[in-house]
Amino acid sequence: MAAVLAVLPVTASADCGIEDAGEVNILTNFFDVLELLANEMKECESDALTVDVKLTTTHKEERERAFEASSSPYDGSAVANSSITALQAKGQLMRLNDLVDKYRDEYQIEDQMLIRFGDDVSAIAFMANAQHFFYRTDLFEKHGLAVPQTYGELLAAAEVLKSEESISYPFGAAFGGSGGWEVANEFVNLLLANGGQLFDPATSEPAFDSQAGVEALETMGKLSEYMSPNALALDFLDVKRQLQQGEVAMAILWGNEANGMDNASESVVVDKVAFAPAPAMVDGGPPATTFWWDGYVIPRNLDGDPDLTFRLIMHATRPEVVAKNNDAALWIRSNYVPTKYAAAVAASVEANAPPYPMNPQAEIAHGALGNNISDFLAGKESAAQSLMDAAADYRSAAEDAGLL
Amino acid sequence: MKLRTFLAFVAPSVAVMVILIAVPLVGIVYLSLYQSHTKTELVELTVEVPTFGGKTRKDTRLSPQPVLDENGEPVRVWKFVGTQNLAKATDLKQLTQAITDPGDASGRGFLGRMYQEVVNIEFWAALEFTLLYTFLTTPAMLMVGLGLALAVNSVTRQMRGTLVFATLLPMIVTPIVSSLAVYWLFLDNSLVSTLMEYLGFGRFYFLADKVTTRTLIILYGVWFAAPFAFIILYAGLQTLPLEPLESAMIDGANEWQRLRYIIIPHLSPLITVIALIHIMDAYRVFEPILVFSSDVYASSVQFLTYFVLSYEDNIHRAAAYSLLTIVGVILLLIPVLRQSFRERQVET
Repeated sequence: MAAVLAVLPVTASADCGIEDAGEVNILTNFFDVLELLANEMKECESDALTVDVKLTTTHKEERERAFEASSSPYDGSAVANSSITALQAKGQLMRLNDLVDKYRDEYQIEDQMLIRFGDDVSAIAFMANAQHFFYRTDLFEKHGLAVPQTYGELLAAAEVLKSEESISYPFGAAFGGSGGWEVANEFVNLLLANGGQLFDPATSEPAFDSQAGVEALETMGKLSEYMSPNALALDFLDVKRQLQQGEVAMAILWGNEANGMDNASESVVVDKVAFAPAPAMVDGGPPATTFWWDGYVIPRNLDGDPDLTFRLIMHATRPEVVAKNNDAALWIRSNYVPTKYAAAVAASVEANAPPYPMNPQAEIAHGALGNNISDFLAGKESAAQSLMDAAADYRSAAEDAGLL
Repeated sequence: MKLRTFLAFVAPSVAVMVILIAVPLVGIVYLSLYQSHTKTELVELTVEVPTFGGKTRKDTRLSPQPVLDENGEPVRVWKFVGTQNLAKATDLKQLTQAITDPGDASGRGFLGRMYQEVVNIEFWAALEFTLLYTFLTTPAMLMVGLGLALAVNSVTRQMRGTLVFATLLPMIVTPIVSSLAVYWLFLDNSLVSTLMEYLGFGRFYFLADKVTTRTLIILYGVWFAAPFAFIILYAGLQTLPLEPLESAMIDGANEWQRLRYIIIPHLSPLITVIALIHIMDAYRVFEPILVFSSDVYASSVQFLTYFVLSYEDNIHRAAAYSLLTIVGVILLLIPVLRQSFRERQVET
């Protein structure tokens, strides 16, 4: 659960062009790509320069405490759409514009890597991600099914696949995971695609307890009938495993998990899984998914050198790293060569899937939803009731945060 | 002893207790009485982010932005809110509503509906399972621990070392790791589910409903805590005088009577201590709740503290939950402490 790993120094020490003395501490989440980038940063270590990257799944808690303190022990941190919002709204992030201008040529910084709030560049993004539809081509062919364009069609396909004996359940999606983050994320995908919104931007009042929200949640209820009865305890890694082990025929999963389907050491369905954008909620509407980015920020209260930290971040995300590890992530840099595993994500852009809302209210709403909508999925109460409970939780948390 | 000498002797302990117990306690109370946030105002803001393939998306909307003071620093608001955090943590508003007007959703009687409504509220749901866990695991871990102690005590001396070690294993493994191990045993297509299907019991979903999830967590709790009772009771058994046992045997007492009238009374001060410590531990049940991601079916007060702190980033309400945990533990311990106080009085 709470995995913490200190990156070991890599043996091959490339010349990274940083000769400064000092110490840089970086805090990040813990997944493959971030580990790879952490190793790139560690390459710059020398007798004079210490680089420490702490990879932990409880990065959020630590970051919030550190960035709020009078001086942050971390000079940089990896964040994403949702986790940056509160930091930005609290004015805790360093404006990176000058550093970007200074090093734009040296590190070939591209405009699409810059996360801008108004005129301020607040983060440097390196990878994108979006959830999309994964399905078994062999089973779709066998049952004469077409790729579902809407959730209605997905449910119809699930009904057909119920009769398939080689699988345990037709569908898988991350309805579990601790704190309800993932199940709330599924809900946000369906809500936005159904024309709903999380909150009213003018008043910050919750807006997800609407007709669009009830429909989205009820769709999730219908989906759960075609999922493992344990679904409320399964996170995205469990769903990935279900698909890899041939237990389910369709799933909604993160784009960066696509190549894992063809990894023969952990998958029994190599070359049998294809990818498409997530189905829409309404005919002709956008796919029910949101775009995410992952990137690095520097806090205003760092105790180290922002210039040095910035160069380390840019060194780790330089074009050569993308070229060398092309398939490791959906890189944002333009020298990334999309593979078949990225096609569904690219198609989702074309189909106008929105970015995940980058407002602090969204993060609070997400948390409140995660804490309540499972009550409906577990059959404890109606969809409307659990959304009302979530709205009450949201109001309470937003009041405490001074947003209401 | 002179007062000065006495004070000099206890000073280090007092200092440690003040730093490690009193200061955090005061801190929690203090934090729970306040609420803080960065002052924000709604500003029209254009946010530009990458989507994929070189494309970016611009989105202009009202967004809360920090209000800055004359030095360009964000303004922090730190205000006294009294018991508001405690009231919010326990959701007094909803509780009052649930008790006075429990609705008529199910066909149950008034009390049944009221109970249903109350345990639908986050804190009271967590408290329900926390208490259930505490009251079920405490006697169970004592019984299993005593059983194990008696069993190990009756085998030959050569085997005891190995057995003691094996029995202690659940306690040695970090709770988060052992929770994960148990969780993995009961998932879809896990060892236990597959075995049960193979043996003809059909597919069984342990994490799909309230009763089985709660049973699993409680069994895990007993498995995890029993070695603690075992090791203390086993040590206690080593001090058991043989004479009363032998006289009892001469008087014709059977095994049960020897256990009931000699062994258990001899161990009873230890049993009180174990119960005391386990109640404190059990009331803070956290790891299995987190690992089983089971908060729909079984939550705990400690889990709520964690949730509010890490997901809602609200240290003040988290402090209120911590305070409630402490109050809960104290309330639960009062009967046990009174019992042990009475025992001591009888002895003197």
